[in-house]
Amino acid sequence: MTVLAGALAGLATIAQMALLAWLVHQIVIAGQPASELVLGFVLLILALLVRAAGQGLQSHSAARCSEQVRRDARRQLHRHWRDSGPVTLADASAGALSREWLDHVEALHGYFARFIPQMSLAVIIPIAILAFVFWLDWLAAIFLLLSAPLIPLFMALVGMGAEKVNQQHFETISRLSGQFLDKVRGLTTLQLFGQTRSASETLHQRSDQYRVITMKTLKIAFLSSAVLEFFASVAIAVIAIYIGFGLLGYISYGPSANLTLFSGLLILLLAPEFFQPLRILSQHYHDRASALGAGAEILTRLNQPINAAAEPQTPEGVQPCNMIALSGVTLSYQSANPVLSDIDLSIQRHQAVALTGPSGGGKSSLLHLLAGFIQPNQGEISVLGYPPGKQPFGWLGQRGFWVQGTWADNLRLTCPDASDIAIESALRQVGLGSVLESRAQGIHSQIGEDGQGLSGGQARRLSLARIFLANYDLILLDEPTAGLDATSEILVLEALHKLAESGKTLIFSTHHHALLALADRTLIINNGEIRDA
Amino acid sequence: MHELRPWLKLISLRRGRLIVGALLLLATLLSGISLLALSGWFLTETALVGLLLAAGAQAYINLYVPGGGIRFFAVSRTVSRYLERIYNHNTVLQLLTDIRVALFDRMAVAGQRERGGKTGAQWLSRLTADVDALDTLYLRVIAPTALAAVVSLILVVATWIVFSGTVALFLLSLLTLAIYVASRRVYLQTQAMSGQLSDQYEALRGDVIEHLEGYAELSAAGRTGKHAGRLMRQARAISRTQARVDSHAGWHQSVSHLLVNLAVVLALWSGAELFHQGQLTGPLMVLLPVALLGLIEVYSTLPDAFAKLGATVAAAGRLNEEISPNPDHNNRQLAGPDSMAGNALVVRDISVGYSGHAPIFSHYSLTVAQGERLGIVGASGAGKSTLADAIAGLISSQSGTITTLPCAYLTQRTVIFEDTVKANLLMGNSSATDGDLWRILELVELAERFAREADGLDTWLGSAGNRLSGGEARRLVLARVLLTPAALVVLDEPFTGVDKQTRERITPQLNHWLEGRAVICLGHGPEALLPSGHTLHLT
Repeated sequence: MTVLAGALAGLATIAQMALLAWLVHQIVIAGQPASELVLGFVLLILALLVRAAGQGLQSHSAARCSEQVRRDARRQLHRHWRDSGPVTLADASAGALSREWLDHVEALHGYFARFIPQMSLAVIIPIAILAFVFWLDWLAAIFLLLSAPLIPLFMALVGMGAEKVNQQHFETISRLSGQFLDKVRGLTTLQLFGQTRSASETLHQRSDQYRVITMKTLKIAFLSSAVLEFFASVAIAVIAIYIGFGLLGYISYGPSANLTLFSGLLILLLAPEFFQPLRILSQHYHDRASALGAGAEILTRLNQPINAAAEPQTPEGVQPCNMIALSGVTLSYQSANPVLSDIDLSIQRHQAVALTGPSGGGKSSLLHLLAGFIQPNQGEISVLGYPPGKQPFGWLGQRGFWVQGTWADNLRLTCPDASDIAIESALRQVGLGSVLESRAQGIHSQIGEDGQGLSGGQARRLSLARIFLANYDLILLDEPTAGLDATSEILVLEALHKLAESGKTLIFSTHHHALLALADRTLIINNGEIRDA
Repeated sequence: MHELRPWLKLISLRRGRLIVGALLLLATLLSGISLLALSGWFLTETALVGLLLAAGAQAYINLYVPGGGIRFFAVSRTVSRYLERIYNHNTVLQLLTDIRVALFDRMAVAGQRERGGKTGAQWLSRLTADVDALDTLYLRVIAPTALAAVVSLILVVATWIVFSGTVALFLLSLLTLAIYVASRRVYLQTQAMSGQLSDQYEALRGDVIEHLEGYAELSAAGRTGKHAGRLMRQARAISRTQARVDSHAGWHQSVSHLLVNLAVVLALWSGAELFHQGQLTGPLMVLLPVALLGLIEVYSTLPDAFAKLGATVAAAGRLNEEISPNPDHNNRQLAGPDSMAGNALVVRDISVGYSGHAPIFSHYSLTVAQGERLGIVGASGAGKSTLADAIAGLISSQSGTITTLPCAYLTQRTVIFEDTVKANLLMGNSSATDGDLWRILELVELAERFAREADGLDTWLGSAGNRLSGGEARRLVLARVLLTPAALVVLDEPFTGVDKQTRERITPQLNHWLEGRAVICLGHGPEALLPSGHTLHLT
């Protein structure tokens, strides 16, 4: 559609130029007054209208063409995120990941909307013009033809260089964006250590590096358009001089004796139009380059090996039971020492189990395994009869999670169907009732209303409220009381107590006495081994 | 459009570069138009002379001047185009660096205003997308519009001289309309959509980052799919709006081209009349329509640029908000040890709170002697961290004064930068040697942890120190603060996430290390503090 409209505009342009040249010829050579040429002028205006309509339609349909492609790319990234799991995802910065999902995918648009249709037009329109000029004067057509095949050659050569540099450019931006997010998050810390100056210098340097790299790309990218520009200009000059001499009768061979002002002027007017589609193509070359760069980044992400080794369990074997069982589970990261080695463990449903032991001993890793966020190198895990992570469960990490929006929005993230009453009672369970009462709109007031957001303790209680609301069988908690102020700590303890009372299966890592007291069973994890306390 | 003013001011600091760039652009445009116009003139001239010669008449034509002119313009168009592009893009990138750095500096001064978990996402988008948006300003908007106007005027004046005043006036009105359609009208039509678009885009970016940050909880609840679906719908709505903006720009472009082409028709028609009346020679009559055809190129970049201007203005507006000066006045003073009469910190009658809200505490006074150990205990919301922030100068008090020795402050939030262990530690004291760093890591019991890593001090810490456990990260930032040789040390919940055994082993060493310095330690309970001379309860 885009190509069709573009081709229509191209044909209308040829008609426009032909009519222009014909009119000039009639006026200057045949000496006709304008009033005798009304039909010519009317046709000319008609051609202009067709050209404008074709042009408008072309951009109109181009604007809508890549929606499907972008949607697919985003879906695949989502799938990759899901397969990687939260622990692996946290290795890449959220800034870089979101940039891939948003900006890189968006960069594909230019390629599909502009570059690809223009590629067809860059073939169709010059060929049409060439055929027409050939009919007018084959020698002039040969001039055009001679300059044309060199152009794709040059562009290919130049494009190859541009592509490489462009990829590098995208990587730089992605890193830069990660660095920005990081610096900005730590701005307070930078201020405290008096390091904002040096951070700003780093920023300056990185921006400058980015400029130097980009300039390298641009110098090459512009070279391709300069080559085109050069050929277009030279072709116009050569044709003008050739036709001029032909008209004077100085050239005695070839078709030039038949040249008239009409054909001569028409060839001259068509010469720039011959190159125009190629020039536009070269302007869109950066669309291609950035799309390829972005595409490469996206593919690298999609091809990243997923830590989760192929789903080991088969669905037929699933039979709900009352046991969480690990057999022969070994987990190790890059370093040689396994975090967990050959663990056999079973935990009864409805129990509250505390995991304790030194920091870095493997408590979090065990929780991640039970959550299905990571997969063991060896061994099997069954959570109440299902593979880990297959059934919804409650998760409380060390960083509370909340989104911009109302309290109700935040609770409905995990329980979309919850009633207002249920939401309010869940918030009260974790001691956020008093906060709600101070707000005019209760659970429908914005969380960040006071300009401060939530304290760490409040955020974690908010996450806990989601768990209350959802009524999960299994709840995994990673150091639920670490870093809490006294009030939050008491409230969290109370809440966990209520959860344990109501027969939920709780597994949590902790050092906290009160929490250890709450547990039915305490496991000590140290040096990759687990034993009962 | 007033949003753009501060940025225009910043841009105009590079006035020299801007003017040279504009002149190069002008040279390019004029070369292109002259090449075509001169060629058209030359052909008509040769055609007429050719006819005369064929008829056997005597005729003379100067071939060298127009021939040379044509060759000159062919080369000058290529060269000036290439130079112009490189020169101007380099300028634009320099401007971008200027803008980024200026923005970061001003944000750094703006201080504590932007806090809370969500600022990272918003600031990131501002520093990248908004600043990038400003690059359209000079090269895509200001320079081409000015040049389109200048070149059009040159042609109108030439018409006045060669043709007639009436024709020139008609031409002027057609071209003015064409410029209006290609620039201001596009802007007016798309401004709202375009501005909204960048807001929606940034909101979506915030949502994507939230999605990633809450990924563990969402996938536990089995909700990542649904949440992702919401993001997909938002993205789709954005591409719809984008498509509408694009097609607006496309239609306006085609209409402005049509107007220029109509100007060509007008020039030809009136030229024909004048030629017929013998007031104009044939070659001159051809010159104008052909030159006008060249004008299309000048106008063609405008609609796209003006379609994006709405987004640029919106971006500039957001940036302005960010850097407007903080109204708080600062009444915290840093003093030398001699002027403090043996004290490390004197807080007199301060009230602290966030503007528009009741103060968190008021009329508070506190004196800490040099070398003293003070513990401050209080429930959540009692204002411990706010007090610490005020002492460290992160927020300013609404009344009262704070006089303090230079102080080191461990914030409640654990902040680890995506960099090496070494770079993270050196922030505390840039003159520390590797030996110093190992010693301090030994003190917080992390030396063994990093000695095990292949890269030692150069071990890279991932996103937010991902590979460190909560307790390890806390001890690392504690080490960073300990490295700072300040006479006053403020520690807010120093042992968050650190297990009891480790804490009990570290504490005596910590005490020893801090000997002779004043220490204020804040926590939710006495067990979270260093052993202190006395403990205040904040209620």
